[in-house]
Amino acid sequence: MGIMRIGHVSIRVMDMAAALKHYENVLGMKKMMEDKLGNVYLKCWDEWDKYSLILTPADRAGLNHVAYKVEKDSDLDELQKKIEAYGVKTAVLTEGTLPSTGRLLQFNLPSGHEMRLYAMKEYVGTEVGSNNPDPWPDNLKGAGAHWLDHCLLMCELNPETGLNKVAENTEFVSDVLDFFLTEQVTVGPNGSIQAATWLARTTTPHDIAFVGGPRMGLHHIAFFLDSWNDILKSADVMAKTKTRIDVSPTRHGITRGETIYFFDPSGNRNETFAGLGYLAQRDRPVTTWDESHLGSGIFYHTGEMVPSFTEVYT
Amino acid sequence: MPFDTSSKVSVHVAQTGETFRCTHDESLLQGMLRLGRKGIPVGCVNGGCGVCKVHIVEGQYRTLGPISRAHVSAEEEGRGCTLACRVAPITAIRLEIAGSFEKPFSKGFAGTAKA
Repeated sequence: MGIMRIGHVSIRVMDMAAALKHYENVLGMKKMMEDKLGNVYLKCWDEWDKYSLILTPADRAGLNHVAYKVEKDSDLDELQKKIEAYGVKTAVLTEGTLPSTGRLLQFNLPSGHEMRLYAMKEYVGTEVGSNNPDPWPDNLKGAGAHWLDHCLLMCELNPETGLNKVAENTEFVSDVLDFFLTEQVTVGPNGSIQAATWLARTTTPHDIAFVGGPRMGLHHIAFFLDSWNDILKSADVMAKTKTRIDVSPTRHGITRGETIYFFDPSGNRNETFAGLGYLAQRDRPVTTWDESHLGSGIFYHTGEMVPSFTEVYT
Repeated sequence: MPFDTSSKVSVHVAQTGETFRCTHDESLLQGMLRLGRKGIPVGCVNGGCGVCKVHIVEGQYRTLGPISRAHVSAEEEGRGCTLACRVAPITAIRLEIAGSFEKPFSKGFAGTAKA
């Protein structure tokens, strides 16, 4: 089976108390533990493994690494061989490098972002349990996000020099990690430049996305909500908590996702994302957005780009 | 604004020639945003993205929170560089815009996605 889904992200925050308050009160996550270095681990109510978000104290914002969970421990050995054969160096971090987590296969995507794969993380169960569960738990805070859904990584793209880490990443995760392409943005002469891609391992339209930019970075991490109404409530929560909203509730043409974008107290962009979009399958034709329809692809209703959305990231 | 009695100082943006009034307890960027004015680029408004980087040429200010060292080094901060979202004015301010948007979709392509 190989990779099942996104497992966690580790991000840098400049004010831990403010960050914790944000992820607890706005997203509705729960603090699960804190390690000796002051890193804080959180999970959403509908997740069953111990954590999906690591906050690390730092003097800047941005991504440390993103981790995906594989089905079997032996998948790590098989994937290590494939990754090394592709020419990408790997390292194995022993069990316990991250608390409550088995060994981690560590490598960098062609874009330079650190990715880790693991097969084991301590099981703690969802907030509603697995026996005759209620559909949602009591005492949910804020948006009450279900789970960490995906991340979007900004990758260096320079059409003048031909450098395109979006295309390189897309080829690597397709050929080696067995993701499949669901949607892409093509720009330039005859649409020859693959400027953004969305790829899946699950049956949702994206488990990871890459967008071209002047430098590598983290565009956003996204959390899943059920419905459009939950997106409205999520926006209400942000207004109540004076959270900086980047893009108020709308729909993406790309992935059909219903969405709201906002910033955590260190400026890392978050998304709450609703709707399954469509059933993503390997034999479904890839959706392509060309340069003239890019605005609609990103914000379907207005069709207009929001400068901060494409030009601001950590 | 007849009901707005909070005391304010003026903030002058050198490049654009814009001047706006900012209270002592809001950031330079929030002051600009509250008035619906433009001048300083607006990003995350939380000290992380760096687009509102400014150089304070004149005036006193106080910091409101941490700023990303990926965008403002300690040495730069010592010379009056900071992020407009993380400083509040004590006296009138004159500043120069030092940051800028980086344009992933609109630079170097045959057509431009952003008109």
